[in-house]
Amino acid sequence: MQTARPGSTIALRLAAIVVGLGALLAIVFLLSKNGQVSTQLFNGLVLGAFYAIVALGLSLIMNLTGTINMAHGSFMTLSGYLAFAMVSRGTNFWFALIVAPLMTVIVGVLVERTLIRPLYQKEPIYSLLLTFGLSLMAEEIYHIIWGANGVPFSPPPSLAGTVGLGFMSFPAFRLFIALVLLLMIAAIALFLTRTRFGLRLRAAVQDSEMIAALGTNTQVLYMVNFALGIFLAGVAGVLAAGLLGLNPTSGNTLLMPAFVTVIIGGMGSLFGSIVGGVLVGLATSLTTLWIPAASEVAMYALMAIVLTIRPRGLFGEEGLFG
Amino acid sequence: MSSALLEVENLNTNYGKISILRDVSLTVGAGEVVALLGLNGAGKTTTLRSILGLTPPRSGSIRFEGQEVAGRAPYQIARLGVGYVPEGRRMFKDLTTIENLQLAENGRAGEWTIARVLEHLPKLAELRNRKAGRLSGGEQEMLAIGRALVSNPRLLLVDEPSQGLGPLIVEEVYKILGELKAHGVAILLVEQNALLALKIADRAYVLDCCKLVYSGSAADLRADRERVRTLMGLTEVTV
Repeated sequence: MQTARPGSTIALRLAAIVVGLGALLAIVFLLSKNGQVSTQLFNGLVLGAFYAIVALGLSLIMNLTGTINMAHGSFMTLSGYLAFAMVSRGTNFWFALIVAPLMTVIVGVLVERTLIRPLYQKEPIYSLLLTFGLSLMAEEIYHIIWGANGVPFSPPPSLAGTVGLGFMSFPAFRLFIALVLLLMIAAIALFLTRTRFGLRLRAAVQDSEMIAALGTNTQVLYMVNFALGIFLAGVAGVLAAGLLGLNPTSGNTLLMPAFVTVIIGGMGSLFGSIVGGVLVGLATSLTTLWIPAASEVAMYALMAIVLTIRPRGLFGEEGLFG
Repeated sequence: MSSALLEVENLNTNYGKISILRDVSLTVGAGEVVALLGLNGAGKTTTLRSILGLTPPRSGSIRFEGQEVAGRAPYQIARLGVGYVPEGRRMFKDLTTIENLQLAENGRAGEWTIARVLEHLPKLAELRNRKAGRLSGGEQEMLAIGRALVSNPRLLLVDEPSQGLGPLIVEEVYKILGELKAHGVAILLVEQNALLALKIADRAYVLDCCKLVYSGSAADLRADRERVRTLMGLTEVTV
């Protein structure tokens, strides 16, 4: 019964190495006073935070119910369009930033309760196919309502300028995005580790039947967990719309990197999703700097390297924030 | 027996097309310890799982405190006051001892609080911040029992508590079960080690390949070693 877990110490060491390497790289680049490099580093971190948030939502849903949510990107896009619809009718950006994700959550919960729930008993391929189908349908619906071309969605004037950071100046909107995403990651971590509901979620990931036998309604867990994942996607969707543009497939372009992030970070580990996101973001943006043509490939190369060395991903053995 | 805590009548449970339980009927009275014995694969665990709704029965009636519970969700049945100490203990290994206990708090008020459980099982208090996966088998069994107690059950379903444990630890676990009995907690006890279970049981049932083949006093069965041997299939005799 007593299991030694060398994996967790290895993972810890790996984490130290990754963080250490990152810090070293950052210091070297910052000291080199190469403005271009530090700008790209920062861009990479912002991009990485996006990947991390999307991957976190995917992991939450996948870990608990085994559902690989191919429609995750569509929910991001939906949230972006809802925010766009609000702002273009004169609604305050800040209001839209909160309300659009919440409206997306309502759609998400309806989908989960009516369409995905009956598939929980079946193999994961069923919910994967269902959500894939949903994403195709969503794309067409966005196309019909908002057109095939991108719609303009710009951040509010208060976030339009740049902010001086001493060694370089940085667009305020990107800084704001980094801040919001970091806050959300921290909030999720606190929710999972410090609340009774979070405790039940972590337990259900390990053994959902046993948690039911102890008197917890697992259907409520599944629903709230899904809502949580969609809320993350929703907020990221609004922010991404302002940064990367908004068209019927814009959310889906973030989905693939997010899956790569989950695999690099290690399936089952939320912490891995965060580290993986940052790594993928940095890899992509730094490659853009030196070999622009290879920037799309960089994350796959990174994934190949990680999987060769450690097939389960960086933190694949860790529990949820365990 | 109309005032029994648990009344199971003509329970039929299948796994797919395979029939695991056929017309099993049993009762557990308030505060009573009932042993459910039988060979591996006789359907003992399935009986417990059916009662709790984890493997919903195909037909039959399960009444708990007079209420029909067959077909209800496991969490609803658990909240009525049915505690479960599963085979293999099923700890939440990445969670600490105290977190494992907190998980079972489901709003049923009663004398068993976490503080009270830790007081009663001081070993767990010492290990409160250790991850359950790092506990020994005996410690895990105690935690599994403590976890079930936190929900203030009127009936405990205990599955193979001695499995994989050394004799001294088994003795300790059975001492705890005996104390719970003295506290008035009813127990339906599944056990491979028949003589061990019969020591604390008031009555016993023996399952053999889906059907009940014995129902009666535990003391009688225990006194009749030959009968135990026969029923438990230690010698080849048709029942």
